[in-house]
Amino acid sequence: MNTTPHYPPGTVRALLDTEHVSDATREALQRRLAAGTEPYQTQFFEPEAYALLEAVCARLLHQPNAPANVIDVARCVDERLALGHADGWRYDALPPDREAYRLALGGLRQTAQAQYGRDFLQLTPAEQDAVLQAVQAGTASGAIWQELNGPLFFEELLAETISLYYSHPLAQEEIGYVGMADLPAWTRIGLNDREEREPQATTQPTQ
Amino acid sequence: MPDEELLEEGVLNPIKPEIQDPLLQELLGEQQAATPQEQPQPVPEQFDEVDCVVIGTGAGGAPLLARLAMAGLKVVALEAGPRHDARRDFATDEKAQEFLFWNDERLSAGRTPTSFGNNNSGTGVGGSTLHYTAYTPRAQPDDLLLRTEFGIGQDWPLSYADLEPYYDELEQLLGISGPAAYPWGPPRRQSYPLGPLPLNGAAQLMQRACQQLGIRTSPAANAALSARYYQEGIGWREACTNRGFCQAGCSVGAKASMDVTFIPLAEAYGAEVRAEAFVTEIERDAQGRVTGVVYEQHGQQMQQRCRALFLCAGAIETPRLLLLNELALSSGHVGRNFMAHPGMQVWGTFEEEVRPYKGIPGALISEDTHRPANANFAGGYLLQSIGVMPVTFANQVARGRGLWGAALHDYMRQYNHVAGINILGECLPHDENYLELATEKDSRGLPKPRVHFSYHDNELRLSEHAERTMRQIWETAGARDIWAFQRSAHVIGTCRMGRSGDDAVVDADGRAFDVPNLYICDNSVFPSALSVNPALTIMALSLRTADRFLEKQRRLDA
Ligand SMILES: Cc1cc2nc3c(=O)[nH]c(=O)nc-3n(C[C@H](O)[C@H](O)[C@H](O)COP(=O)(O)OP(=O)(O)OC[C@H]3O[C@@H](n4cnc5c(N)ncnc54)[C@H](O)[C@@H]3O)c2cc1C
Ligand code: SF4
Repeated sequence: MNTTPHYPPGTVRALLDTEHVSDATREALQRRLAAGTEPYQTQFFEPEAYALLEAVCARLLHQPNAPANVIDVARCVDERLALGHADGWRYDALPPDREAYRLALGGLRQTAQAQYGRDFLQLTPAEQDAVLQAVQAGTASGAIWQELNGPLFFEELLAETISLYYSHPLAQEEIGYVGMADLPAWTRIGLNDREEREPQATTQPTQ
Repeated sequence: MPDEELLEEGVLNPIKPEIQDPLLQELLGEQQAATPQEQPQPVPEQFDEVDCVVIGTGAGGAPLLARLAMAGLKVVALEAGPRHDARRDFATDEKAQEFLFWNDERLSAGRTPTSFGNNNSGTGVGGSTLHYTAYTPRAQPDDLLLRTEFGIGQDWPLSYADLEPYYDELEQLLGISGPAAYPWGPPRRQSYPLGPLPLNGAAQLMQRACQQLGIRTSPAANAALSARYYQEGIGWREACTNRGFCQAGCSVGAKASMDVTFIPLAEAYGAEVRAEAFVTEIERDAQGRVTGVVYEQHGQQMQQRCRALFLCAGAIETPRLLLLNELALSSGHVGRNFMAHPGMQVWGTFEEEVRPYKGIPGALISEDTHRPANANFAGGYLLQSIGVMPVTFANQVARGRGLWGAALHDYMRQYNHVAGINILGECLPHDENYLELATEKDSRGLPKPRVHFSYHDNELRLSEHAERTMRQIWETAGARDIWAFQRSAHVIGTCRMGRSGDDAVVDADGRAFDVPNLYICDNSVFPSALSVNPALTIMALSLRTADRFLEKQRRLDA
């Protein structure tokens, strides 16, 4: 039977206080842990569009322990778009990021209306998933999706949000990653070789 | 520790990004200043003329910079990115290290668009070697003779014998770790200076399965030190600590990136490296010879005059600069022949714990598929085991598998049990695959590059063959949930070298056919992609380009 490893919570925070983590690494991770604890004023999206983006992120990223553990991905997207940062490339078939995000959020509203006659935010989680699946599959209804390539945009959205999520030390802890604690040298690096400071998994059956 | 947000913003986009979105342009209205181009240009600051200016300090620029300085020439390198103190500033954190990548937006077009940024393009003193995985196999002699062997693709205007002495020299200087006897390629005159790095979990799994399947493997040649190493002019460098972070920068100095090897060597011999210096213009006289360059540094325009120019800005920015400056274009091949290695990855989940963040990511190699028997394609590919950092992996899971919600979380929880193999395979040049200047502008007000890239029959067949091989290896190793991620890596061929200016931009010495004192050396000059990782060969060409240039100077002086 397949099992899903689970790792003990608190591992990364505990490691950050040790000499296993370099100063530069500690500073970067602590800043990220602290970010998002204070209320956020959107910089790029209108509040309504932002609420929609948050709802989408909640479906893409399953955070079972929310809200206590919520990693605020929507906020990072908003900040990036406000600053105009890029990651070095974009599909030529998509418009510039800001335009693509605005169009896509409008597109989600259209699809929700066309499929269920309600606003995206009023849909059940399962209905929201159906709308997102249609966009990913390229079958979403709505005029905007004639203009904007749904599957390509969805890939970009997914890649950005997932990368942001797994950049967070708590998400890294969830998957048993402790590469940030790289001092001194790793010496046990082969198969089934665990170093003292690496957490051991408890396995639970896959749901 | 540099402020990551500041670096991300300040270093690469010193000018407020130009808004592309028409709607947003309208909304922001008067807030948007005129584009930088429309502003009156201040008179550039000037320096005294130097012998050589080198644009870019990556694999192509840094070795020749050192060579020219060591010959006593007055040389200045202009590097768009910043200079780092890796030991102090580099974090073991992918997001904090994003400043290493060329993050200005490029447009990826075609049926199999290739991605840039962290997939292949770096910036900073050291260029993309700051984040290369440090695999350093040599090309094999037949790699340079593709047309002779298969009747398609391109031969190189030089042979393995021309490169061999430089491979020998580089392996010693960089301190390459590798096996005592490397199973592929011609017999070596010298063995690797250091023994191989230890194999991590992914490498052990691949080794085990290949042995059962009769595929030969070997510890890879890595430009990372398996023991402390000393080089005259460079000093001591420390051994690799197995932190698995090569693709986001080495904080140990073990990896032979240019910032800890050729750059200090060049500076020890008087070369000057100006960081955060983005070249925009190449100036010429009435005869068409280069007289100098104009660059932006800290918001100011500067000018540097030179007797010879070495353009080493990488296979996107080099042709982009030439197109922007309408220079060396007579062959019609600047920006054409764009190639990227088919670089498919195959992932599997194992019972064993792999913990893929430990150990040099590229530990094991096989070149048994260099010329596979009964292949229905030209050329071949190599196989490499891969370690992977979590954000890079998550990104590939998003793009390759399209998983989200609970399915994604369940899969990502397997991270410590996941291992990958990838290939690098031959890519043929094709008319459809080229770089052009788009009308859309970047933060500097310059046209963005648009790169068209579509696989054709050869790349598709090669990838199919490779996918079968890699799936078989992972099945034999006991993996479940095997999946393939189709991707391409490295940017190659946009200013290729050749025998004639009719179908090539530079000659075998790297000199532009159109401009006698313009040299190009980076991944853009490769006439064919080679079925190996490019960096060692780029460095070999770099040393050779410098030597050929110096020889010509000596003949002129005599
Ligand atoms: C994640 C990753 C892993 C890799 N792994 C390997 C590997 O294992 N083995 C291998 O052989 N190769 C590997 N590579 C590829 C290797 O890094 C590149 O092929 C090589 O560095 C390219 O050298 P280059 O000189 O062409 O360009 P670069 O090294 O990219 O150097 C170009 C430099 O020019 C500068 N520049 C550009 N435009 C301007 C301008 N206008 N003014 C001033 N400066 C400018 C840039 O900032 C940059 O520093 C990898 C690359 C990546 C991204
Ligand atoms: S694995 Fe070795 S070479 Fe690579 S970043 Fe870590 S210490 Fe440096």
